[in-house]
Amino acid sequence: MFEESITPMPASSPSGARVLAPEGEPIEFIYNGRRFHIHAIVSRWRESGGWWNRISDGKNRVTESTIFDDGARAIWRVEAAPEGALTTFEIELDEVTKTWLIRPTSRPQ
Amino acid sequence: MKSFTHLRVASGYSFKYGTAHADQLVERAAEFEMSALALTDMDTMAGAIRFTKSCEANGIAPILGINLSFIQKKYRITLLAQSGHLDSLYRLVTAVNLENSENLLTHSLLERFSQYSKNLLVLHGPESQLASAISARKSAEALSIYNATRELFADQAIECVSHLIRGDGQFSTSHAARALGFARDNHLSAVLSNAVRMLDRSDGPVADVLDAARKLVPLSNKSVSRQNSEAYFKDSSEMSYLSDEISRLAGERDGRSLLNTTTAWAERALLSPRKDVGIGAIHLPDAAALGAKSQGELTAQLRSRCEAGLSRRYVGSKSVVAASRLEEELSAIRTLGYESYFLTVADITDLARNRGIRVAARGSGAGSLICHVLGISGVEPITHGLLMERFCSPLRGELPDIDIDVESARRLEIYDAVFEKYGQRCATVSMVETYRSRHAIRDVGAALGISPMEIDLIAKSMPHIRSSNIPKALANLPELKDLNLNTPILKMAIELAGRLDSLPRHLSMHPCAIVLSDIGLGDYAPQQINASGYPMVQFDKDDVEAIGLLKLDVLGVRMQSAISYTLSEIERIEGAALDIDAIALDDPATFDLIKSARTLGIFQIESPGQRELVGKFAPETFNDLIIDISLFRPGPVKSDMITPFLATKYGLRVRPVIHADLESILQETQGVVVFHEQVIRIISTMTGISLAEADEKRRELGDIASQQLVCDWFYPAALARGYTSTVVAEVWEILRAFASFGFCKAHAAAFALPTYQSSWLKTHHTAAFLAGVLTHEPGMYPKRLILDEARQWGIQIAPIDVNLSDATYRVEKSSKETRAPYLAPNVLSSGAELKLPDARGFAIRMALSDIDGIDGKEIKSIISGRPYLDLADFVYRSGASRPTTESLLTIGAFDDLHKLSTSNINRRDLALHLQDLYRLAGSKSATSQGQMSFELQPEKFEPSGLPDITASEQVKSEIDILGMDVSSHLLEFYGDFLNKIGAVRSCDLIKHRSGTSVLVAGVKVALQTPPVRSGRRVMFLTIDDGHGCNDITFFEDKQADFATVLRNSWLFLVRGEIRRTGPRGISLLGTGAWELANSHEKWRNLAVYGASGT
Repeated sequence: MFEESITPMPASSPSGARVLAPEGEPIEFIYNGRRFHIHAIVSRWRESGGWWNRISDGKNRVTESTIFDDGARAIWRVEAAPEGALTTFEIELDEVTKTWLIRPTSRPQ
Repeated sequence: MKSFTHLRVASGYSFKYGTAHADQLVERAAEFEMSALALTDMDTMAGAIRFTKSCEANGIAPILGINLSFIQKKYRITLLAQSGHLDSLYRLVTAVNLENSENLLTHSLLERFSQYSKNLLVLHGPESQLASAISARKSAEALSIYNATRELFADQAIECVSHLIRGDGQFSTSHAARALGFARDNHLSAVLSNAVRMLDRSDGPVADVLDAARKLVPLSNKSVSRQNSEAYFKDSSEMSYLSDEISRLAGERDGRSLLNTTTAWAERALLSPRKDVGIGAIHLPDAAALGAKSQGELTAQLRSRCEAGLSRRYVGSKSVVAASRLEEELSAIRTLGYESYFLTVADITDLARNRGIRVAARGSGAGSLICHVLGISGVEPITHGLLMERFCSPLRGELPDIDIDVESARRLEIYDAVFEKYGQRCATVSMVETYRSRHAIRDVGAALGISPMEIDLIAKSMPHIRSSNIPKALANLPELKDLNLNTPILKMAIELAGRLDSLPRHLSMHPCAIVLSDIGLGDYAPQQINASGYPMVQFDKDDVEAIGLLKLDVLGVRMQSAISYTLSEIERIEGAALDIDAIALDDPATFDLIKSARTLGIFQIESPGQRELVGKFAPETFNDLIIDISLFRPGPVKSDMITPFLATKYGLRVRPVIHADLESILQETQGVVVFHEQVIRIISTMTGISLAEADEKRRELGDIASQQLVCDWFYPAALARGYTSTVVAEVWEILRAFASFGFCKAHAAAFALPTYQSSWLKTHHTAAFLAGVLTHEPGMYPKRLILDEARQWGIQIAPIDVNLSDATYRVEKSSKETRAPYLAPNVLSSGAELKLPDARGFAIRMALSDIDGIDGKEIKSIISGRPYLDLADFVYRSGASRPTTESLLTIGAFDDLHKLSTSNINRRDLALHLQDLYRLAGSKSATSQGQMSFELQPEKFEPSGLPDITASEQVKSEIDILGMDVSSHLLEFYGDFLNKIGAVRSCDLIKHRSGTSVLVAGVKVALQTPPVRSGRRVMFLTIDDGHGCNDITFFEDKQADFATVLRNSWLFLVRGEIRRTGPRGISLLGTGAWELANSHEKWRNLAVYGASGT
């Protein structure tokens, strides 16, 4: 049910969103110009796979450590708020490019 | 933080599933400072011993278990052996493998074998039926599943696993949390695992390829089930973090309780590598297996059998020496407690002999007098200076290794006899097939959907190497120049193939090893049934040695079958049995044959290289044969030990005497160190240590690191005994250089025995021996060459005859005139004369089994219908198919029956008659097999007036149908041409001077391009011309011009320069090679042109 309400990534953040994660786990982030503080991690998961597809697509991102772009991502579903009501976000770390993506899964009030 | 213990770990022994080697996992656990680790492979325990050894080396306590299908194929659980109860796990795993065709653990199996399961712990993980009920929120059902096995296991736990999968399915955190909640609700134990299948997160792609290879599908989003790479070997803090997450989601404050239970369960399953797994133990067959009541009785049995054997084999002064040696050996065996070892091996060789199967021991076992007097080994060890210490000594903490060679055709009969007698005490041994480059490339290519042609090209051109060497190999293969290996997909494929390197792929049966133990074998190793239907321990040969089981290699040797066949033919023809094992080893005629280098068909010395060597060496004694075999190995050849040896033997070099004490040791090999036994004696003589201790030093010499230690010890030890520093230095230099090249003399002696026996048989029963060689094909040469060899000794080659030919080659007495047997020319310098066999008066009858397309049933039916009156009778009764009958007719199998040689009908008439017969039968009702029932006899057949087939047509059909030329040698058709151009027959080469350039011709026997000392490629061509073989060497400078002809032709005209290498050694240095038919054609044209021109 969350999936339906995901809004697309703002086109204005091509180099990734700004997320504060000193120990690897996000604490704060900036979304739409506003700083959000994470109150709770609702769940987290990791995804990877499909490396073989990226060869034929030409989308294979080769890094120093591996030629396999397995599309590894770590995702946290969090409750965060600048002020007022809590909002649920998914914060995703693309582990290949080390860039962050943020998508709200419920609309900020 | 306390260290975590992984209770669920799949290694590469989970075939095509686990991506990590067992020892890599152990090393990682050690790195993470974990104190214990479990190995729970899927469906097998094949990695248990290697894993345990690695644990012991890394100071980690091993836990052993297995992951099995339970109740249904799709549900899996993990079993762990409780401390002290590994045997129960082995027994249950064996029961699952032996009693259930799908290797499925069922309730009824558990009930039947509850005496074992009661000692086991079980983990109900995410793939269990229990977890699936919890996941479906059917708590009551889940509980009843738990209760159904409550009494059958020592204890059960809910296994919580989170691979951080999104959502709430299997391997998600919420799935794990619900399982934990269920456990808490029902007061059941819950443990945490990570269901490990890889070492690192980055191993995901390797796991995918293995999954694809296992399921035989290419990689696609549909076929891959892996959603992330979390099934890797996490460290304690990562596991603790996971434990917190799962526990909190289940409503607990933190993960401490879950971790504590996991630790407690690990502690219940810790095993001792020595006490539980049995590393370093010894479990030889028990006294009862050998008909004794106690160890004491075994000792007495061994002694009395040895003494009986001794008095049969030794007389006079020799028996005194032998008796004292026997005492020494018996006392060593007693110290070691190996009585049952020797008695068991002797029992098995007896089992074979009682069935009339030939047996010979191979390897260092021939050094033991006990092996000889018990009849295990035929070589007499004392005369040949063979040492027991090289084979077995109290200083070595390992079981000795005896291999026995048996008739290849009857090898499995011995297995059957052993299994019948030893039952539960024996099993076959497994062999782990691992990924090598070719397989790795194929599996990766198939997974990635690379075009089969490309993969095939890469795989086929791949030498048999470790797959981690693939990139280097590919860069150097000229065949692959046109392939762009830098495309992303090929680069990835090659990288992946490298990552599959040496991962286990499959468990198969070791081709020749069996293990024997006491009645408790089932407690020491889990078993399964192998593809041949024999019980097989899941451990390989190194594993079974590590846990002290008696491993016996029973090797099938075709020469033993050929010897056995020869003996039976001799008995059939001569009417008297021959005991080949009792012949004297000094027969001059036998050594004359060997010296003549006409050794085709003889064990070990028939190859071109060996023929050259025996020609140079001219062995005159059995000991010479032992030396010959020891010298003909890559090491001595490479380091050129042969040249100084022969130079001394022929007086071209004065043998250096290092020290008088070493003379008796080095004399037999002209001062060159050839044997391990010599090294042992030298060390012992110069330092005063015992032979057993000296053998330990010899072993250390083989290793560069410990070589220095031996050196540091040897110098002072030898100097202290009064040897001068020059002598010590010189001897040390020899010992050091020798380390890599020496050979075990006992091993060579064991090989020399069948070499001598086969030489003796070839000398005195040439026809019977060659019939044996033709029937069992022990050697490297094609049959047509052996046939030709037979002709050269004056043997008639009798064609296939429907009334006379058998399934195998038979010897017949024959009065037909044949050519005069080969005579070796005398050596001009010494006048030495060789007495060679004359086998005139014998014929070898060609065998039915050589007909192309014939099968065993047909042969049997043809033989049982004999004798046949005529062709019609044969067609009617023999049961032979039409193609077989036509083949038989074409090669002349009915010629004698229809007396074609004396009548006016010929083979073409016979062929027409056969067609009439089939037409007639076809007009009635022909059966589908091409057989028929006759009611009408065809009209009597008359000569049709067609010309008879020519000799060359005959040979052509023989090549087509039998694959060899029988009626005449292929080269005879070129006789005129070859005479005119002055080609030299191979047997006449020796009459020419060294350095002469000659033309020779022949049929290709072999073309070899072995690696040689200089690293330059050399091509060795062997051709035969009906008078023997020519061996021609082509060096690199000639290969550019002639390599293609050498590779692609069959009949050759060759120009070469003669090289004399010894009294009878001769070889040709190739300077040109042409296709014979082409040369012939050119010559004919030239002759015609020349004739018209004059």
